[in-house]
Amino acid sequence: MTLRILLNRVKTDTLLKKNMTKFIKKEDLYKLLNSFLKDFEIIGPKQIANKGIFYEPLESIEDLYLGELFAIEPAKKFFLESSECLFHSGFLDGKATVQDAPLPDKRRIIIGLRPCEAKGLILLDKVFDSEYKDRSYINNREKSVIVGLACAKPDKSCFCTSMDGSPTGSRGMDVLLFAVEDGFIVEIYSDKGKEAFSSLGKEPDEHQNKTLSAYKQKRSELIGKNFKVPGDLSPIFESDYWDKVSFPCLSCGVCTYLCPTCHCFELVDEGRKMYRCNDGCAFSNFTLEASGWNPRPTKKERYRQRVFHKFDYFKKIFGENLCVGCGRCIRHCPVKMDISEIVSNAPSGAGK
Amino acid sequence: MIEELRNKARELLKTKQVEAVIGYQRASDGLSAIPCVIRSEEEAGRLIWDAACVYNLCGYLKDFRAKKLGIVAKACDVRAMIVLISENQLNRDDVFIIGMECCGVVDEKRARVSGRDGSDISSADKCKSCASCVPLAYDCLIKEKREKAKVSEDADKDKYEPVRKLEAKSLSEKSKSWKDEFKRCIRCYACRQVCPMCYCPRCVADQFMPVWFSKAGGIEGNFSWNVARAMHLAGRCIDCGECERACPVGIPLRDINRKIEKDIKELFGYEAGMKTDAKPFLACFDKNDPEDFIK
Repeated sequence: MTLRILLNRVKTDTLLKKNMTKFIKKEDLYKLLNSFLKDFEIIGPKQIANKGIFYEPLESIEDLYLGELFAIEPAKKFFLESSECLFHSGFLDGKATVQDAPLPDKRRIIIGLRPCEAKGLILLDKVFDSEYKDRSYINNREKSVIVGLACAKPDKSCFCTSMDGSPTGSRGMDVLLFAVEDGFIVEIYSDKGKEAFSSLGKEPDEHQNKTLSAYKQKRSELIGKNFKVPGDLSPIFESDYWDKVSFPCLSCGVCTYLCPTCHCFELVDEGRKMYRCNDGCAFSNFTLEASGWNPRPTKKERYRQRVFHKFDYFKKIFGENLCVGCGRCIRHCPVKMDISEIVSNAPSGAGK
Repeated sequence: MIEELRNKARELLKTKQVEAVIGYQRASDGLSAIPCVIRSEEEAGRLIWDAACVYNLCGYLKDFRAKKLGIVAKACDVRAMIVLISENQLNRDDVFIIGMECCGVVDEKRARVSGRDGSDISSADKCKSCASCVPLAYDCLIKEKREKAKVSEDADKDKYEPVRKLEAKSLSEKSKSWKDEFKRCIRCYACRQVCPMCYCPRCVADQFMPVWFSKAGGIEGNFSWNVARAMHLAGRCIDCGECERACPVGIPLRDINRKIEKDIKELFGYEAGMKTDAKPFLACFDKNDPEDFIK
C-alpha cells in the first residue's frame, strides 16, 4: 500500500465529501498498525499497573489499550508539549544569533483519542493556528493522523453533551473506531484517514450498520450530567459566589494540566535556550508580576479566571466554550471540585 | 454519628465558641466528599461523615489565621496538627478539634484509576498500617457506633515492608526505577498543595531567580523537585498519604516519605506527630544521637 499523502503531505487534511464506513476485525487492525510502525511513530493509550492509562509512543502494538477506561493525561501533550524549546541564541563571528529550535520530522499516528480530546484540538487550533501561527503546534498537527475511539462507557464525570459534543462525535478526527463485537466499525472522514484505512476491511453489513446507529444513540444517553451554561457570566464577576465555590481549591495544577483545552504557558530562559512550559491559572504565582503585585492574589480570583476563560472570554471571541466536558478536572481533582456543578449553579444576573 | 457531629457544630457556632467549622460535605457525584466551611447553624446540616471523608483538612486552617475554628479531624489529621503546633504554625487555642473515631477511609485513588465508584473499594493503604483509630488530641470525640472501630486487621503487619523491598534493590536499580517514576511527573504540585506540612508562603519551587527545579526538558528538574520535597518533610511527615493520593500520574510518593520516616525512627527513635509535647525533630539535639552514618 502506498502512503503517498501521509508521507508527503504538508497542509492540513481535507475532509471527504462523504464519510466512508468499514468493518475491521481486531487482529486486522492490529496487523495494519504493526505495518505502520516502520514509517510512523504510533502513539496510543497503554495500561500501566497501579497507575492507570497513559498515552505513550508504542514500541509494540500489543501494548495498545482500546478499552473503556480514559487516559489520565489528554493527548494534548503531543501537540502542545508540557515543555519545549522555542529557540536558542548564540554567537557567530562576533555577532549574536537567534535560531529557531528544529522541528521533529517524524510522522505519527495517534490512536485512541476520545471525541472530546479531538474536539479539544479544534479549540486549540483557534488559538495556535489562526491569526497567530505557532510553528511548533502546527507542525505537530500536520504530522499527525488522528484515529479516535468512540466512548463505550462514559464516566460519571463526563458532560460532553452539554458542551455540544458527543461520545461518538467526529469533530477533529481523521478516523473514528467503534468497538463492536469481534472488531471495529471504522468511520473515515478525511483524506489522511482514507489513505491509511480504506484498503483494509470490508463494507459493514446491514446488521453492523444497525449496530452502529444504535451505538451512537445509546452512548449519548449514557451521559448523566446535562446542564446549560449561563449565556453571559460577566454580571456575576464580583459575586460572592466565587468566594464560596473556590473554598476547597488547593491551588494545584491538576485541573489545568490534565485539561485537553487549557493552554496557558510561561516562558523559561535556561542557558541560551528559551522554553515554553505549561502554566495554570490555579497556581498562586500565575499572574505574579515582577513588581510583586498580583492581580489575582487569592484562589477566588484564580478559580473565577478559570471559569471565565472557559465559559465567557473564549466564548465571546471564538463562539464556543473552551471546555469539551471530558470530566478530567472533576475525576482527578484531589478534593473533588466539580466545574460542571459550579457553572450550572452560577447565579444569574448581578447580585449576591 | 453524623447527627452527633452536626449537633456539635451547631452548638459550637451558637455559643460562638468558633467562627466556623471546617468539615466535609457530599460532593456532586453523590458518593465522594468535598471539603466545606460551615459558618452558621443552618448550614450545619450539610456536614457528613463516612469513609469517603478522605482529605486532611488542616491545610484549610491557613485560610483563617488567628480565628477560632472548629475542624473535623481523624487520627491522621490530628497528627498533622500536632506537628503544626510544635512548629508554631498553629495555635492550639485557635482550634477546636472535633475528633472522629475512624474505621479507615476508602482508597479514593484506586477507585479513580480503575474507573469504579469507590463503594466496593477497601480501605486506603495508609489505613492498613494505622495504629490508632482515636485521635491523640481532641476537644470532643465522636465515637464510632457501628461495630467495634478497628482500623485494620493488618495493623500488626510490618508497616515498612514496601520500604524494605526498596532498600533491597541495588543502587542502579533504584536509580532506574525512580527515574521511570519521575519522568511522569507533570509538576502540577498537587503533592505540595495537598500536604499539611507544606506551608511555606513561597515555595522554593516557585522562585525564578534562580530557578531551583527546572521545568524545561529532561527529568533532572522533576527528580530534584521530588527529592527536595521529600527531604523537606524529614521528621515532619505524618504519613497521611495525601501526596500519593493526589498525584494524578501515580508516583508512589509515600515510599520515599516512609523510607525517611523509617530511618529517623531507627536512628533517633523519633516519630512525627505521635506525642503532643514533642519538639520538632530537626530542632532537638541530643549528645547521644548516633553519628556513625555521617561520613
